[in-house]
Amino acid sequence: MFGSDPTSAGTLLAAGVTSAAVSLWLLLPRGTQSPASMRLGTVLGLLALAAFVATGQRLGSIGEEAVFLIVSLVAVVAGAATIVTRSPVYSAIWFALALAGVAGVLLVLGAQFLGVATIVVYAGAILVMFLFVLMLAQPSGLAPYDRVSSEPLLSAVAGAVLLGLLTLSIGRLTAEPAACCNTPSRAAAMADAAPVVPAAVDVTKADRMESDQVARLGAELFGRHLLAVEVAGVLLLAALVGAIAVVSRGEAAAASEGRFSR
Amino acid sequence: MMSLPMLHNALLVGAMLFSLGLVGILTRRNLIVMFLCAELMLQGVSVSLVAWSRYHGDWGGQVLVIFVLTVAACEAAVALVFVLQAFARTGRLDAAAWQTLREANLPRVMDSKLPADDTFPPSWPTLSPAGVLPPGDPQESLQREHV
Repeated sequence: MFGSDPTSAGTLLAAGVTSAAVSLWLLLPRGTQSPASMRLGTVLGLLALAAFVATGQRLGSIGEEAVFLIVSLVAVVAGAATIVTRSPVYSAIWFALALAGVAGVLLVLGAQFLGVATIVVYAGAILVMFLFVLMLAQPSGLAPYDRVSSEPLLSAVAGAVLLGLLTLSIGRLTAEPAACCNTPSRAAAMADAAPVVPAAVDVTKADRMESDQVARLGAELFGRHLLAVEVAGVLLLAALVGAIAVVSRGEAAAASEGRFSR
Repeated sequence: MMSLPMLHNALLVGAMLFSLGLVGILTRRNLIVMFLCAELMLQGVSVSLVAWSRYHGDWGGQVLVIFVLTVAACEAAVALVFVLQAFARTGRLDAAAWQTLREANLPRVMDSKLPADDTFPPSWPTLSPAGVLPPGDPQESLQREHV
């Protein structure tokens, strides 16, 4: 992950973490903010992004990795805008853009079904449900609790430190399995699992565009994980029944409260 | 199988999305925005899982992301019902509206720094004037006096 000089790479990572924390603190709603500090926060955020892009691996082949860079930048910038936007409706719409970026990342990574499912399930169903609830519950104008946030400095520092630690631990990853642990290596486990699912091995970079990827994923899902699919179905049913039960109990309680108050 | 630099880049994107969602869920006070931030953390984890799945040539990561989608749908349905019930009780989507549930030895959250009105108003787009000014209605000033 890092270049030949570990000191400059560490300095770069520290600069990225620091500017990410300061930029998030400047951008988060604090009640009293000037547009100048918002602009400064945006510039610092872009600097942090540039630092993290430089921290990542040098982009080799220009083709799909440029696409990966673009869609991941869309995802991360829209995710940052999701958490710093004051209006919850705009926040939800920024989240939809972040979902589009994540779907692009999944497509570049070769998970076609998951990319499409992210758009359909998240942006099409879950996000629309969020927007419905927002329109039911949102007062007109910006509420006071949308204009301030609780402990923005501590949260931004905590998030940036977590990001720096994660980046460090990602940078330690090498192709060889770690020698410290006496658990069997992943490659050996995969070799053991290979006879069970022969379609799971030998996934080369060239077959990323093959059309039977979804079929292989479905075979894996309904083969090795059939019991989990059944459990997920029970979970969906329980969530459906539970949501309806809570709504009807709440309505009954509200009606009885109204009767008592009258 | 995916190359190691691509795995690093994808894991970095997942870590950034997860950290952003963590900051949001720690610091935002609107309940619905907090749930959006939780979904953002789930997206970061999904990106990491798919990257590992591609790197190892194993479909287990992608299958796990499908279950993450399922659980996220269930969570959103149940949690939004609870948010609506909380809104019906307090009239606010504020997480601090429920601070009477805190421990007895913890201090109360106070909004002391909040200005009276919005000091950062949204800037709406404006249209530059174009064309000729239409002739004014001479009756309009008379009508306005009656209002």
